Amino acid sequence: MRLLRPIIAIGICLSLALGASAQALDSSDSSEYLIKAGFIYNFAKLVGWPGGAFAQPDSPIVIGILGTDPFGGIIDRILADKKVDARRFVIKRLKWGMDFKDCDILFIGVSETAHLEEVLHAVKGLPVLTIGETPGFARRGCIINLIVEDNKVRFEVNLDAAKQADLNISSRLLALAKIIPQSTADARKPE
Amino acid sequence: MNLQNLSIKRKLMLITMLTSSAALVLSSASFLIYDLISFRKLLTLDLMTQAQIIGYNSAAAMAFRDEAAATATLSALTAKEDIVAAVLYSPDGRIFAHYFPNGTAHPSTLPGRSQENGYRFEGGYLEVFREVTLNGERVGTLFLQSDMRQWSVRARRYSGIVGIFVLVSGFFALLVSSQLQRLISRPILHLENAMRMVSTNKNYEVRATRFYGDEIGRLIDGFNTMLSEIQHRDTALQRANDELKTRTRELEGEIIHRKQTQEELLKAKHAAEDASRAKSAFLANMSHELRTPLNAIIGYSEMLEEETRDSGKVENLQDLQKIQGAGKHLLSLINDVLDLSKIEAGKMGLHLETFDVSLMVEEMVTTLQPAIAKNANKIHVQLADDLGMMRADATKVRQILFNLMSNACKFTDHGTISLDVSHAITEGQDWIRFRVQDTGIGIGTKQQDKLFQEFSQADATISRKYGGTGLGLAISHRFVQMMKGRISVESQAGQGSTFTVHLPAQVTLETAEATQLEGAAGVAVGLSEYRTEADTILVIDDDPAVRDLMSRFLTKLGFRVVAAAGGEEGLRLAREVRPLVITLDVIMPECDGWIVLSKLKSDPNLAQIPVIMVTVVDNEAMGFDLGASNYLIKPVDRDRLAVLIEKHRAARVPSVSEAKVIPSRKAGNKEERRKIEVEVSRRS
Repeated sequence: MRLLRPIIAIGICLSLALGASAQALDSSDSSEYLIKAGFIYNFAKLVGWPGGAFAQPDSPIVIGILGTDPFGGIIDRILADKKVDARRFVIKRLKWGMDFKDCDILFIGVSETAHLEEVLHAVKGLPVLTIGETPGFARRGCIINLIVEDNKVRFEVNLDAAKQADLNISSRLLALAKIIPQSTADARKPE
Repeated sequence: MNLQNLSIKRKLMLITMLTSSAALVLSSASFLIYDLISFRKLLTLDLMTQAQIIGYNSAAAMAFRDEAAATATLSALTAKEDIVAAVLYSPDGRIFAHYFPNGTAHPSTLPGRSQENGYRFEGGYLEVFREVTLNGERVGTLFLQSDMRQWSVRARRYSGIVGIFVLVSGFFALLVSSQLQRLISRPILHLENAMRMVSTNKNYEVRATRFYGDEIGRLIDGFNTMLSEIQHRDTALQRANDELKTRTRELEGEIIHRKQTQEELLKAKHAAEDASRAKSAFLANMSHELRTPLNAIIGYSEMLEEETRDSGKVENLQDLQKIQGAGKHLLSLINDVLDLSKIEAGKMGLHLETFDVSLMVEEMVTTLQPAIAKNANKIHVQLADDLGMMRADATKVRQILFNLMSNACKFTDHGTISLDVSHAITEGQDWIRFRVQDTGIGIGTKQQDKLFQEFSQADATISRKYGGTGLGLAISHRFVQMMKGRISVESQAGQGSTFTVHLPAQVTLETAEATQLEGAAGVAVGLSEYRTEADTILVIDDDPAVRDLMSRFLTKLGFRVVAAAGGEEGLRLAREVRPLVITLDVIMPECDGWIVLSKLKSDPNLAQIPVIMVTVVDNEAMGFDLGASNYLIKPVDRDRLAVLIEKHRAARVPSVSEAKVIPSRKAGNKEERRKIEVEVSRRS
């Protein structure tokens, strides 16, 4: 708990900055996911999708949350009136086995650790930004993986995965990220 | 030292240097200011660009709350030496990341919170605020603070350059102007030098050299022309001066010569006057000396004649009568000579009195009867009816007529002698005209000119034939002149003669004054005669018309009138004449009536003489206060004046009146005179 205190503070700041309603945060988890929701928003800004990814210039960015939803209602609240280049956000809660190929951003929850490769395989070659929050996900082929270091939320980027998904990640984003190489042995166990 | 008294040389240099320096400093300063302003704009633009780049680069770090990345981005400013502070503010306004190259300490000028986009100059710093956005969304604010080091360094360096430039160009201007000023100063200094030489050495031969054809050149030309003119005039003046000196010397010689001549002439004049005076004195003395024995001769011859007649010695009677006649003739000659000598010596005075002309003429004709009868002549006297009274010297008038009549009788044989007396008014004056006409031998035109001169008869032979001294007409002429009258003659040889005498009906002392005051002796005689006159009235008035009117009026009343034209003269005459009454005007130039009145009343000898004020000034009180007896306002009521004067005469003390009894020595009637002379001689 002691470690999380600055995170809470930053969370409050972010929530204010993003225009989110200043609701009292009931748990430490919620403040961490407040930040993570903001990060997802920022990723949307700094990642370029290929030309055919969207049907219309104002087609919404579809965010799929696969597995157990750690955000609760936070992400819906934060992204409710946000836009990136005239694109709104649409948030879908997904279960394993549901079709998630039409997602632009796929948040893969901790609960999907076991069949991550399957999930990744399902979206392979598709312009889907895969985001995880579990250590080792980036090495295993997830494009962005959120991690917590020194009480701060950081992220890892797997450039190869991004290249395979035909996504253009901004250098400004990369400058802040930890670049993680693709594991040669896909079948290797996660650390 | 006063700037205005600097030499032209220094002034010119100063002007050149000041002008060029001022222009240089002004242009340099404006260039410098322009450059610095532009440079500052450039710096501002640069800093804003910087802010844009940093903002862009730090946007993601801000968005992902990555302080380390943000600080790293800010650290890129190390290359920019002038940036002293760079701060990233989070959207809520708090400091997110910062960069302070001069240490960790926060500069005091650092703003606590973020502000709007823009730049400002604050306390020597240039500050820029810039929003940091990510994909159009504000994620924070960047603050950059620059100490504008480049700008101040540039300002210092440029100022130094301008300073050096001004100094160098000033020095250059000094060099150039010290050379160029000679163009102007050299001719002026030369001219000044020439001028000093002229004024100190008085050397007008100096000439200034003309250097150029400019204004100074023309000035020098003018100066030279002026010098030539001065030199020319100086020479001319010198020549004129020399000539003047010569002339003056000559003139001085002439003056000395003339003075000597004058002195000689004066001596000669004195000698002549002495001689003349001696002659007159001799004549007067001799006449008296001659008369004394003559009185005896005539007196005794008359006595002898009577005795002879009584004793019946008729044979001696004729001889005695001849002696007596010769004696009388001699006496008349002596009297004539005496009169003439008195006239010549200026001792003959006028004795004015008022008399009846007709009576005088009749009396004279009566005494003339024997002379008329002598040559069997007839006499014809015609007197005008309105002759009336005349004021003149009766004795002299009678003598003039007697002379003329005697002459007429003397030179006429068996003829007619007529005497015509009438009034004549000419030149606004009242004259009595006496005309004596005879049918005698007449006088030639040539002789008429010399007729009235002393000792000249018409012809030298005449004195032998007719006797006489030839003095009669001369004396008559003089008497007529004394009374301001005229005498003239019309005659032709063999046709008879006409003598005409005009005498003023009212002879006044004023008209006769010139004769009166001729010489000191004349005054003395006049005074003695004044004192004999009790009823003299002194009229003091500056107006000649008033004097004339008063004189005539008072003369008609039977007074003698003495007139003065001014106060001083009036006082003098009052002392001399001691008049019965003084009439006094007030308004007169120099010494007015009030002063005269005061002086009269303060003089014990004159105080008792009554003064009648006759004036236009209406100030009776003043007159009486000062001691006037009466006060008359002009125009004067004559009757009133007459009454006043009569009153004063009646009140007068008869102290001076004894002088009246002195008889006239020159009786017109020779018979009377003879009697008196005989009486005198008998008495003696």
